[in-house]
Amino acid sequence: MNVNEELKEIAKFVADYATCLMGSGVHTSRVVRNSKRIGESLGVLIRITTLHKSLILTVCNAHNDDAYTEVVDIPELPISFAYNAELSSLSWKAYDRHLPLDVLREEYRQIRAKPKMSPHVVLLLVGLANASFCRLFGGDWNAVGIVFIATLAGFFVRQQMQRRGINHFIVFTTSAFVASMCASATLLFHTTAEIAIATSVLFLIPGVPLINGVIDIVEGYTLTGSSRLMHAFLLIICVAVGLSLPLLLFKNSLL
Amino acid sequence: MIFTDILTNGLLAAIAGVGFGAISFPPKRAFRHIAILAATGYAIRFSLMNYLSWDIALASFCAALSIGVLSLWFGKLSHCPMTVLYIPALLPMIPGMYAYRTVFALVMFMQNLHTAEVAEIHLQTLLSNAIVTVSTVFLLAVGATIPIFVFPRRAYSMTRRKGW
Repeated sequence: MNVNEELKEIAKFVADYATCLMGSGVHTSRVVRNSKRIGESLGVLIRITTLHKSLILTVCNAHNDDAYTEVVDIPELPISFAYNAELSSLSWKAYDRHLPLDVLREEYRQIRAKPKMSPHVVLLLVGLANASFCRLFGGDWNAVGIVFIATLAGFFVRQQMQRRGINHFIVFTTSAFVASMCASATLLFHTTAEIAIATSVLFLIPGVPLINGVIDIVEGYTLTGSSRLMHAFLLIICVAVGLSLPLLLFKNSLL
Repeated sequence: MIFTDILTNGLLAAIAGVGFGAISFPPKRAFRHIAILAATGYAIRFSLMNYLSWDIALASFCAALSIGVLSLWFGKLSHCPMTVLYIPALLPMIPGMYAYRTVFALVMFMQNLHTAEVAEIHLQTLLSNAIVTVSTVFLLAVGATIPIFVFPRRAYSMTRRKGW
């Protein structure tokens, strides 16, 4: 029974680790590789099946037939490149130094507990990013200013709604609507209104699932890859719907 | 003049890359690498399109490929997985104007369903802009990912450090 208890502890930890990675936007092959590496450092074999919403994982003892299987749900975490980098790094550290499970668990807890960048700083950076995007597309300075404000408004709405746990699709449609509506203020001035409205919603493009989906499919994880792509397409359609309302209202001045 | 054009475009792309990257919470040490990658990639695409008059899809592919190759090196420097560096760097190259014109043409097409000639023009705009948008985004993703497939062992051990 002792052996099984140990396998169970390992399985619980790896399940937590792998679902955290999957949920925070890491492509599938990396999740599988990292988890197997941790298993190897603890002297067990790990086999994983990944789906979009859940994950099946078996931990086997390499020397006898003991095995422990766990099916876990993948939480919907905000995308975090920091988890991607630090948790991958943790798996290598475990591999190179043969860390015992409790040390591993403590380090994992510390990485998860690290404070995130302040939402206000992110808001400002996103505003600046979209404004410079507008300039790249050839917008004049009036348009750049209005896009900056429109992005602040749109991203603020997104942050507030996401904090309250509202459905993603509603969040994306509403923030696209708010941002493009604010950007439509450019129609009042003599400026590059078309470019301003076009760029005001670009901060909503789900770039991470789009690229991860392509990587997953090319690497043979077709199921998770296509579910990621499908999710990204749905979000893009939501952005298009939010954007098309102001377009319908102001189409005569835009033609 | 050419030089300052390339430089300002690169600078703006760097701001855009860092800002869009911030949405996905990268580790702090990655920011300068993201900025350099975004600037280089955009500058390459800008030069190819404006001075060699390449089309947007092919120029994007080459720019993405250079970002991917550079991130093989930067990833090792900053101990970050390649995707952490190149996904934010690719975002400033998303063909936003084409995407916008696709949506606008769709709206206009639906509004003019009963006047066949007008609807036809909008349908044409819709189709050509959609094709440009989809193929550019696809080539961006593929271009940056190719270096991972060519150098898998290097790409998969970016976060390993010597002498912990």
